[in-house]
Amino acid sequence: MQNERSSSPEKNQQHTQNKNEEKKNSEDWEKTFLKSKDFTKTNYINQKTGKPFTFVFMSTLVDEKILSNSVLPALLEEELYQLSDIKKLLPIPDVQLSTEKSEIEKKLFNGYVMLFLDNDKSLFAFIAAQKEVSRSVSAPEIEFSVVGPKEAFVESLRQNINMVRKRMPIKELVSEEFTLGSLSKTKISILHVEGITNDEIIQTVRQRIKNIEFDEIVDSSYIVQLISDNESSPFPQLLDTERPDRVAAILAEGKIAILVDGSPHALIGPTTLIEFFSSFEDYFLNWVLSSFFRLIRVFGVAFSILITPIYVAALTYHYELIPKDLLGTLINSRRVVPFPPILEALFLEITIELLREAGARLPTKVGQTIGIVGGIVLGTASVEAGLTSNVLLIFIALAALAAFTTPVYKMSNTIRLLRFPFLLMAELWGLLGITIAFCFLMTHLIRLTSLGHPFLEPLYPPRVQDLKDAFIRGSFKDLNRRPSYLRTKDPIRFSGEKSHKKKDIDE
Amino acid sequence: MRGQKLFLLLLSLMLLSGCVQKEVVDDVNIAVGIGLDKKDDQILGSVMIPVYKTDRSIENFTFTSKGTVTRDIIFQMSHKSSQPIVTGSLEVGLFGEEVAREGIIEFLDAFQRDPSVGARVYLAVVDGTASEIFKGNYGDRGNAIYLSGLIQQNTERGNMPLTNVHQFLFDFYQKGKDPFLPLLKKTQPDLVNIAGVALFKDEKVIDSIPTSKMFYFKLLVDEYSEGTIKIKADNKESVIKSLKSKYKFRLKKRSPYEFDIHINIDALVSEYTGRTVSKKVVKKIEKQLERQVASECTKLIKKFQEKNIDPIGLGHFAKTQTRGFDFTKWTEEYPNAEVKVSVDVSIAEVGVVE
Amino acid sequence: MIIGRQVGIMHKPIQDRFKISPFLPLYVIMAMQIGIGVLGFQRVVAKDAGNDAWISVLGAGLIIHVIVWVMYKICETVQGDVLTANVYVFGKIAGNALNSFFIFYYILTCAGVLGGLIEIIKVWMFPELNTFVFASVYLLLAVYIINGGLRTVAGMAFFSLVLPAYLLLVFGLAVKHADFTNLLPVFDHTLIDMIKSGYRMSLTYLGYDVLLFIYPFIKEPQKSKKWAHLGVFFTTILYTVLAILTFAYFSGGLLEKSIWPTLEMWKIVQLPFIERFEYIGIANWAIIIIPNVAISLWVASRVTKQVFHLKQRKGVIVAALLCLGILMFLNSRERINMVLDLTALLSFAVSYLFIPFLYLSVLIAKKVKKK
Repeated sequence: MQNERSSSPEKNQQHTQNKNEEKKNSEDWEKTFLKSKDFTKTNYINQKTGKPFTFVFMSTLVDEKILSNSVLPALLEEELYQLSDIKKLLPIPDVQLSTEKSEIEKKLFNGYVMLFLDNDKSLFAFIAAQKEVSRSVSAPEIEFSVVGPKEAFVESLRQNINMVRKRMPIKELVSEEFTLGSLSKTKISILHVEGITNDEIIQTVRQRIKNIEFDEIVDSSYIVQLISDNESSPFPQLLDTERPDRVAAILAEGKIAILVDGSPHALIGPTTLIEFFSSFEDYFLNWVLSSFFRLIRVFGVAFSILITPIYVAALTYHYELIPKDLLGTLINSRRVVPFPPILEALFLEITIELLREAGARLPTKVGQTIGIVGGIVLGTASVEAGLTSNVLLIFIALAALAAFTTPVYKMSNTIRLLRFPFLLMAELWGLLGITIAFCFLMTHLIRLTSLGHPFLEPLYPPRVQDLKDAFIRGSFKDLNRRPSYLRTKDPIRFSGEKSHKKKDIDE
Repeated sequence: MRGQKLFLLLLSLMLLSGCVQKEVVDDVNIAVGIGLDKKDDQILGSVMIPVYKTDRSIENFTFTSKGTVTRDIIFQMSHKSSQPIVTGSLEVGLFGEEVAREGIIEFLDAFQRDPSVGARVYLAVVDGTASEIFKGNYGDRGNAIYLSGLIQQNTERGNMPLTNVHQFLFDFYQKGKDPFLPLLKKTQPDLVNIAGVALFKDEKVIDSIPTSKMFYFKLLVDEYSEGTIKIKADNKESVIKSLKSKYKFRLKKRSPYEFDIHINIDALVSEYTGRTVSKKVVKKIEKQLERQVASECTKLIKKFQEKNIDPIGLGHFAKTQTRGFDFTKWTEEYPNAEVKVSVDVSIAEVGVVE
Repeated sequence: MIIGRQVGIMHKPIQDRFKISPFLPLYVIMAMQIGIGVLGFQRVVAKDAGNDAWISVLGAGLIIHVIVWVMYKICETVQGDVLTANVYVFGKIAGNALNSFFIFYYILTCAGVLGGLIEIIKVWMFPELNTFVFASVYLLLAVYIINGGLRTVAGMAFFSLVLPAYLLLVFGLAVKHADFTNLLPVFDHTLIDMIKSGYRMSLTYLGYDVLLFIYPFIKEPQKSKKWAHLGVFFTTILYTVLAILTFAYFSGGLLEKSIWPTLEMWKIVQLPFIERFEYIGIANWAIIIIPNVAISLWVASRVTKQVFHLKQRKGVIVAALLCLGILMFLNSRERINMVLDLTALLSFAVSYLFIPFLYLSVLIAKKVKKK
């Protein structure tokens, strides 16, 4: 007997004929399947016992190598009397026997091959033969780091969990799986470490994920929006990362990670505002250096949000504030500009936003060119044309640069947006307007929670212990406790006593 | 939904009626200097406005107008100006001699009442008229920067004691102390000199100290001085830079009042016309300087007592030492108070050559 | 709680996650005490005691600790806030009538403080500022804060103290221009003068009475005691230091003419990138004032909820609208000062007369009820 599905045209024809025949006497569950071309049903006869049996599978989801290399030889050449024999015969770990017809759809579309003996169609077996189509593991692109591991998540959940488990080979690392989406049937996995992570957090996540009602979940960013505490906030309330090492690290801190099949990004929660300004590379560098860079980043963000509003406020209302040496420079650069400062600023801000959008939508090489051409040509031209002042151009360029220092892409988007309300308020009431806008922002941040935990922690509620890994990154000696706001079951990471002993000089 | 509507309503309300008067930096005339002179019965005010040229040079433009009070004068000027005149970046205020002799406090009221005028504005009395000074072209950064720089530089490194609006008002309202201001004089078409210190009795100028005595004056009223003095010892001239000086008052007796003023100077020799600066020479210079400072300071104080003015604040000092101090009595007794000045000079450095 | 149930007040026990940590009363009290008064108290206290007024400032601050102690005693005895205490002592009708007074009082406080801020902005920054629009935006902000619950209110109180703290450093730059001999001779004024000026000062210190209302929201109130006292103490120190610095920076006559000495002190400050600092200071003051307004409105709306069973979400809007209404009448300095004086007087009466009286009554009522 030979494989009917080998690809000679004759056989194909025969196969189609078979299919048409089958259609007539096909069973109910098959009807919809038959409309798809990749639905395959083939008959074989066992050589030793002469029992005829049938394979049913979706050809696009099944790895045919498994079928032809391991399944078929065994089934055709060994002694097959009844279906339960296949457990002895097949060298494949995942073989299930079932009588449930309702399971057929789910199994077939998860890459199982259905097998039944032609004389008894009520009992059937599912043999796992999934085709894993995923790209190979590559280096992280968004959270690139010069030192440290160069692995990033891919679009396969199994592969991703594998990468995390490799870094934490303990039984306490629990992976709970859910299937979500009425159409997408996306697999979602919650990772946490038992004995560390607070049950309340896990319970919250479980509850929220169970409550999701959605048809097609494509990516983890859908989940973020669906389970966020406040979905209208511009601030991301779950941190997403493409680094398995980061996931392992936060699991050890007592947080949870959510992995979604088909998404190369894991979600981390509960998170805090400060965490969005810490790059994972901070932990690879000496603590003095990384603290310095963190401070630079925080300064960069503040600068990026505030500098244009302050420019508008000072030039529109508070000329008194401007140092006398600077006054001449500013007036000179403003003199030819026909617009009030706010229009000038908006014009440039929007230009920058356009450049960014264009750069992001175009292929990498073209995008770079657009960025450079746009930046240099537009900037110089608009100054020379007298549309904007060159001082402002410098500020805007610096602000744009500073916004990119945030290591998390979603946060830099937020910062891009935040500038505009500040600008408007600066135009309205100068510095006072900026403070009012700041108060609104502050209130919003205080009210914001991530999985029920305050988003501004450790700033508010103030927790001194957690400040060791906030604006500055304390040395590993000092980070011997897990973040207190997570209320972990085991707050101590390591005792740290040995390292804390201080020796006297020359001892 | 309701919240959003409310928000939209508020936003439009804000944009429609929330706006406040704008003062865009290049759409206003920023007054950096103001001068007041007496002309006939009225006050002639001049306001200095820098004109920023496209080639980055700064020209000076002066508005002049007659009026009775400061605000009125500025209002009168706006009749001539294409852009509103704002006073928030004022650097210097100059008072012509005649105005200063009649009292300046009524003009300062405008400075004080207007919150946009800073407390660091320099004030000065002009030997001559303020408008005369505004007419020149000094330096390449604008007249006001030149004038404020002139006073500032001389305060920080020269023999001019610290003065500004706040200091003047502080002294003016301090019982037992009289204010003083720098005295400016235009000597050449494009140069202004510090011609000394103008001394006030209440709000009127009644006397002045020449430049040559300013070093001693500063020793008496300012602690962080960094002045310079030329000294003659053994027919050799040497220039002493005073690094630090401190003064200390002591009230020794109450009736009649007897004060001890002790001045401590740490100085260095910056120039010496003799051959070598030996230890002996240094000692000599020290002694000479001590004698000189003591006698000059005493002379100054005598002069103050004669004119019945108290710029060094002996009255205030006496008050701080006495519970239930009676100022009317003090005014009578002040001219007869005895003031002793003792000086201690130590010269630490002689420069890089011996 | 038990007493609360006895007298039939509808207090639901407050859930733990809405409570604030025991050290946060420090910030709430300080934020409430530091308001519009800081900008101009120096002139007022110096009227009687001159350069010795700083002693009165210190003294008046220390007396507050006694009041704080009494307030804790009241709350501990009735296991609840002052509303519970009032109902416990005076019965439901009289107690609630007394409670409704607090609604009026806090709305007036809110209006006075906000009016003071608007006045300063008008004088120093924007003479044409539209009171209605600005007050609406500001009150909207306050409502937004209050909708987040007391935790958010306390959070704003925290940030309103921590973020502008750098302003204190700026005062350091004014020290160069200060003449500390102005403070001499010490004790140059009579005791009566000092007490008078102490009384004036006690009007500026007010605001710690919020403790009576936030008490049920404090986790482990026993632990919070030391923080509340510390908060009052810090405020006292701050005011005293500021008073000393002011007396040194201004000569006597000059101080008499300065309405906002604190702001004027910033005028002398010059930084390489900022020519004039007071504008930054005023803009910052909008942050410092926000807890005053938010806490007042929170208390007003909370009392409304307890007394009239109006939902706090609605109550706060009503309170804000009332406040806005009052503000529309505060269009001159005299009227603002009138309201500020009135609230100060009421507040003084509450702190120094009502609270001790309430404490005694609570003690008596407890004895009577036990029998």
